[in-house]
Amino acid sequence: MEWFNDFWSTYSTLVFTVGVHALLALSIWLTLSCGLLSLANAAFMGVGAYVAALLTVNLEWSFPAVLLAGAVTPALVALLIGAPVLRLSGVYLAMATLAFGEVVRITILNLEITGGPEGLNGIPLITEGWHIVLILAVTIYSLARLRRSKIGRAFEAIKEDEIAARLMGINVDRYKLLAFTLGAFIAGLAGALNAHFTFFISPREYGFENAVDILTMAVLGGTTTLIGPMLGGTILTLLPELLRSLHDFRSLVNGAVLILVVLFLPKGIWEPRRIRAFFGRNKGDQA
Amino acid sequence: MQRVSKTLALIGALSCAGLAQAADIKLGVAEALTGGAAQYGVAIRNGFQLAAEEINAKGGINGNKIQLIIEDEQAKKEEGINVFKKLIFQDKVLMVFGPTLSNSMFAAAPVANAAKTVVFGTSNTANGITDIGPYVFRNSVMESDVLPVTVATATKHYKLKQVAVIYGNDDAFTKSGYDVFKKVLEDQKLPVTNTETYVKGDVDFKAQLTKIKGGNPDAIICSCLAEEAANIMLQARGLGIKAPFIGGNGFNSPKLFEISKLAGEGTFVGSPWANTNPAPVNKAFVAAYDKKFGGEPNQFAAQAYDALHIVAAALKDVKLSGDLNADRETLKNTLPKATLNGVTGAFKFRPAVTKTGKPGGWDADQKPFIYLVKGGKFTLYETK
Amino acid sequence: MLEQQLLNALTLGSVYALFALGFTLVFGVLAVINLAHGAVFMVGSYAALAMVSHLNAPLWVAMLGAMLGSGIVGLLVDVLILKPLRARNAPHLAPMIATIGVGIMLTSSAQGLFGAEVLRFPEDILPAGEFLVGDVHVRALEIAIVAIAFLLMAVLFVTLKRTQLGRALRAIAESPKAAYLLGINVEGLFHVTSFVTAALGGIAGVLIGLNFNAITPQMGQPMLHKGIAVIILGGMGDIRGALIGGLFLGFAEVISKAYLSSQMGDAVAFGLLFLILLVRPSGLFGRKLERKA
Repeated sequence: MEWFNDFWSTYSTLVFTVGVHALLALSIWLTLSCGLLSLANAAFMGVGAYVAALLTVNLEWSFPAVLLAGAVTPALVALLIGAPVLRLSGVYLAMATLAFGEVVRITILNLEITGGPEGLNGIPLITEGWHIVLILAVTIYSLARLRRSKIGRAFEAIKEDEIAARLMGINVDRYKLLAFTLGAFIAGLAGALNAHFTFFISPREYGFENAVDILTMAVLGGTTTLIGPMLGGTILTLLPELLRSLHDFRSLVNGAVLILVVLFLPKGIWEPRRIRAFFGRNKGDQA
Repeated sequence: MQRVSKTLALIGALSCAGLAQAADIKLGVAEALTGGAAQYGVAIRNGFQLAAEEINAKGGINGNKIQLIIEDEQAKKEEGINVFKKLIFQDKVLMVFGPTLSNSMFAAAPVANAAKTVVFGTSNTANGITDIGPYVFRNSVMESDVLPVTVATATKHYKLKQVAVIYGNDDAFTKSGYDVFKKVLEDQKLPVTNTETYVKGDVDFKAQLTKIKGGNPDAIICSCLAEEAANIMLQARGLGIKAPFIGGNGFNSPKLFEISKLAGEGTFVGSPWANTNPAPVNKAFVAAYDKKFGGEPNQFAAQAYDALHIVAAALKDVKLSGDLNADRETLKNTLPKATLNGVTGAFKFRPAVTKTGKPGGWDADQKPFIYLVKGGKFTLYETK
Repeated sequence: MLEQQLLNALTLGSVYALFALGFTLVFGVLAVINLAHGAVFMVGSYAALAMVSHLNAPLWVAMLGAMLGSGIVGLLVDVLILKPLRARNAPHLAPMIATIGVGIMLTSSAQGLFGAEVLRFPEDILPAGEFLVGDVHVRALEIAIVAIAFLLMAVLFVTLKRTQLGRALRAIAESPKAAYLLGINVEGLFHVTSFVTAALGGIAGVLIGLNFNAITPQMGQPMLHKGIAVIILGGMGDIRGALIGGLFLGFAEVISKAYLSSQMGDAVAFGLLFLILLVRPSGLFGRKLERKA
């Protein structure tokens, strides 16, 4: 067990980060599964992180209550802006959510209570491994159930062809709003968890680059299944660590990996059909 | 897994060997070597490497060589934590230097403090860093120690009646510098004509400066990083503003006046270090740095260089047992007593005054030099 | 004071326009949001700097060199990455993410080659000279920048409106398939577009580098954000919109800093963008016609 203690004390934060990134990737997977390209998830994560951290530091709420508030607040914001924003589609939606994200970031930057650009420090270490595992498990279970439910099928119909879905009598606007809001809920949860194991949050963690990072995780992993986004989140979190020995070339290789995956694995890394085909062929070879 | 335990066995064997004979003293360096803060991180790393080479060339510390383990923390908070954990738990360093930015420090220092390992910041000036705990040290002088002196000196010299202020409002360093300036100006009852802001990455400051020009200030106070400051000065002169500048820590780069040329003439800067400080130790440092890295050092390199010498001075007086936890504790207890007459002048630590009143870490106790820029060079300002 | 601010706005706005022009043209013709455009802009700056300081090239040669250099980067990206993606009809997200990768690679290569610190053009190569028009301080450099930016934009406009090449490009922008059926060499023109847009981004980088004199590996990032804002304002893929949008953003930024507070300037800008998108998704100056994105 000694090696485990050693490993854990070195890498626990990394493992936590993998979990949080998996949640974030799932949050954007949810909106993508309804055909929405939203880049607001980093901002929602930020809202969740700040709300949660402020409640812990100033009001000393209990952790479950803090987490709940950290998830519900961004969900409410999403509900509020969702109705007008979701009338847009495709790249226009992406740009509008991007602009919204910038507004959130700059607002945090200029508020007194958030500590402005200096950020919020001294957030106690509360998040434990099992918190993340439990929340991730519940999220996966719920999303898997959701996928197979009426709602999930409606999402898919909207994603495939919005007009057809509307003609079929699906209340497209309501379902889109649901996906957007639930995505914000999960992103906020991820933010709240993250704030309580990194001691510190600042507005620059929730900007444009981070929004793109989250999207990249989902697309890299593949969005056809729930496993894909989580795998993508894991890889993008671990890759810089694994490449640590490359020193100066690290980000170069990081960029190259991104390009290569897009070029050669069009549906992301985790694509059940291709993987089945691969193993199927191998079996065939052996026989 | 097998490899992990093998590595552990190896580390174990090495630390046993350390008992018998002179061994390397492993010190961790976590700086932003890539990403947005790389220009500081790289200078800091250079400062450490130079100091380590010099110390080792002179036989090390009591016969033990210094071995730096350098990691890139990319100026990201999670990376900061990961790197700190790697250095502390895996590489089993005696202590850690860094990280580069205050942001990363707020995230990473609690890790070191909880692991009862000394963390030593050389470039973190934000308030509250040494509140984190007794294992947190820094030799970066806080703005609140420097700016009152700078402003008072400039006011007296130029007989200032009113000033304008410009600062970066989305950066922790420039914003906290502004907060200090604001308080100093209130304390010294100096009226402010305009307060203008910009954000990181801005290169065009003409709109703000045109507005400042309208207020007709006697001087412009600038809480900015060097690269922005150079542009602000050049653009101010381009707009016909004649008022001199007063700068914070961010001005402390020889590059600033190399670029801004005579635009920065008459600027007052308070600084723990300047390249023209005539002390022999500083002259030797500037020459050695130029020889090794082909360029002038900056303040960040100088403070890193001094930081390693401060730790070396502390380690000279102690006998390391080879038991890592005990040695880390010894260092924590000895380091506050260390003093140095280094490239940044006379240095000693002073206990941090924390918000909560609980015992915190150790801040720099160092008198700033006040420099006046003449002929594009920092010259020590002498009050007559 | 107002006259000075207007000049400030014009210089800033024309560089924004020049940058956004390439950005919007890629979107219009290739239907790709090229998130490496900021990095290409940075490449232009470094290329010119390298030619000036290592080869002692005169400034105009360095400018051409920078356009060629960044143009080649753009062409390579198109041939090596975007073309295979087009060939298999990849969804919109794929090229966007690939260009993020390109941006990361270019930025880290620049840091590896030139270091992380801020670099500048040597003082003596800049067009010196500064004069007073009434109360307004005008630098020769600013005039040169505005002139070059407008000249390049004029050339581009004429090319697009009046020449065979321009007509072909506009046809592709409407529908690549239809253009192909009309016998237009679509692939070839994609390459041309990639080269030209990257060259425009590169020269914008040189101009910004000259005017504000701060070249860093990360300099493209804030510009990319501005570029996104401009093409939203102007309507995505709309050439004229990019010009008007760029100038508009330059003026809006300067005026809001001058007459409102510089504190919330960016929040106001992005808030405005957000509202514009909600009310008029085709952009403030865009045509009503929308490409289905």
